[in-house]
Amino acid sequence: MLTFKLAFRTLMKRKGRMALIGILVAFGTFLIVFGGIFASSAAQASRAAIIGNFTGDFIVYSAKSKELPSPFAFNTPLPKIGDAEKVAAALDTFPEIEAYAFYAQNYGIVQVERNGKKLDLPFIFYAVEPKPYQAVFSNVKVEDGSFFGNGLASGQSNGKTEGIKKGILISRYQNEQYLKNYGVTLKVGEAVTLLGVTEGGVNTARSTLLGLFEPLHFKSVFDYINFVDSETYSSLYNFTGVEALPTAFNERLAAASADESSLFALAGDAAFGKLDLGSLKSQALSGFTMVAVKLKDHSKADTVMAKLAKRSDLGVKTARWDVASGFYAQIASALQAFIFLATGLVFLVVTMIFMNTLIINVVERTAEIGTMRAIGADKSFVRGVFLAETLILNVSASLAAMAITAVPLALAGGKGFPLPETVSQFLIGGGPLALKLEVGPFLVAIGIVVLVSILATIYPVSVATSITPLKAMSDR
Amino acid sequence: MNVVELENVKKHYMLGQTRVDALRGVSLSIAQGEFLAIAGPSGSGKSTMLNMFGCIDIPSEGTVRIDGTETERMSDKELTRYRRTKISFIFQSFNLIPVLNVYENIEFPLLLQKAIGKTERHQRVMKAIEEVGLLDRMKNKSAELSGGQRQRVAIARALVTKPLVVLADEPTANLDSATGKRIVELMRQINETDKTTFIFSTHDAHIMKEAKRVVHIMDGMIADQGDETEG
Repeated sequence: MLTFKLAFRTLMKRKGRMALIGILVAFGTFLIVFGGIFASSAAQASRAAIIGNFTGDFIVYSAKSKELPSPFAFNTPLPKIGDAEKVAAALDTFPEIEAYAFYAQNYGIVQVERNGKKLDLPFIFYAVEPKPYQAVFSNVKVEDGSFFGNGLASGQSNGKTEGIKKGILISRYQNEQYLKNYGVTLKVGEAVTLLGVTEGGVNTARSTLLGLFEPLHFKSVFDYINFVDSETYSSLYNFTGVEALPTAFNERLAAASADESSLFALAGDAAFGKLDLGSLKSQALSGFTMVAVKLKDHSKADTVMAKLAKRSDLGVKTARWDVASGFYAQIASALQAFIFLATGLVFLVVTMIFMNTLIINVVERTAEIGTMRAIGADKSFVRGVFLAETLILNVSASLAAMAITAVPLALAGGKGFPLPETVSQFLIGGGPLALKLEVGPFLVAIGIVVLVSILATIYPVSVATSITPLKAMSDR
Repeated sequence: MNVVELENVKKHYMLGQTRVDALRGVSLSIAQGEFLAIAGPSGSGKSTMLNMFGCIDIPSEGTVRIDGTETERMSDKELTRYRRTKISFIFQSFNLIPVLNVYENIEFPLLLQKAIGKTERHQRVMKAIEEVGLLDRMKNKSAELSGGQRQRVAIARALVTKPLVVLADEPTANLDSATGKRIVELMRQINETDKTTFIFSTHDAHIMKEAKRVVHIMDGMIADQGDETEG
């Protein structure tokens, strides 16, 4: 009590000088609290945006790949997933998984005819199964037309193709670029020819523009990414085929292949000719390179990934959202690091200035300290007085800063903190950042302030406690 | 009974490259209830001697006994405890704690002695304030007091712990002669009534006149032990 009384009154006596320290501590606290909440909210929003737009909680990709999967890598496509159906069947067994979507990224040409002249338009796209894709991602708003035909009723979990129209969707921005660079604008419903380059040459597929969309998030990315349905994609890039031929057919074919005449004789064989080729089922040979997996609980990502890693028969591996999204996930981390660095620097300056101020105080109070020591105060009492002064000043400045920071944050609620659009697009996919009040940054702030207070007093206190009672006698 | 004893005490220290012999073999005994002045010119060693009595300096050689206990081997903590309970100081520059008022300054040494309860503490402080005639100034800070009033507070602060010995280092040096005279009379009066031992360094003729014994010191040695007389 005596210690705090002395400390408080001494602070009041030197309030001009100590106010500067208080302001610095308050500023540092503001940086920790606001910066911490900002960085934490940004990290959460960034994670949600990346998971909801690019990667899901993790991406499943071919075990043959030497590269990490990236939803943005259009010029270095990943190896195809070998047995997509087997992978899908495996994913279906995990209760933790809410939805998953096979997709691939590639590029091709959209060919249109204007005034009898064919125009080749570049076309970067995601090949998707529309329903599963929309079950995992919510990154486009169709402004004209539909997302592969509006037959997207929810609850059709066993059907990936019911009500689906085949075709393409392009972004409004992409259409503007076509106008700007090629003088042509595509219209919804317009027939187009898709050209895809394969190892065997250039394939073509007739298609239709089903819709124009506006990206909901990450405009800087999705303005350039268009969509094609998976069936069109498979036919364009030779990823379709048939399941195994009937056994009898194969046996006859094998027996006849011993010599040329037997083989030609098959043509005249009525029984062999009865084979109903129309009954053959077409089979997607999987042009998919990635599967985005969305979990019911994001925190289970590592567990599910570990379980999948044990399934070596699937021929796949996994990459968590932050690994798969690369640069985008690092923005929030870099921001966090920057805030920590700035806060660290502020507190370093505070510590130095505070230490200096305390030393000046100690020198000015030599006689007072010597008197206390002569009267019978031991070193721990002197230490306590200085520490109390520091803590009273710093903790109250810190608490004031916390209140000043917390009140507007609480009042602002979920309205969000406005960010420059460019920053917002890269950091959280666009829009204001909803700041979420958390206790953590407040506790960190008070912890750092207490730590800095203790550190700043170590040297001044050692000077103060080295003052002997003799100083009181010799001070004239 | 002797409350303070110096036995062939020497004190030297280095001032740059020069060795200064502040005390050169001083032996002195002071009995309880004495009102003793240590007189001598500046630099004669009277403050150094007072510092030895007050356990705030230790001798280079020789023995210092306070209340029968040798102090030179005591740790800082033990010396502090000793000062807290057995010795009080009155400083030339008053040395009041500026942020505390009169009452709080006097209460301060009692608060350091945690064993004293709140009621007793209050009674002792009030008695001390009354003794020095500052009841109407209890709530004032030292900056609001005159030099004489500040020294009265210092005296009250010195007496409130009921010490074995009160050491006063030129207590009237910063006071005008009339105030200094009243302060000495006050100390003398307390010495008479409470039998508190007072030792003060001075070259104030009035204090020397009031002292029961005057010890003269010259060049770090006692020139005259003085006889106990009524001042």
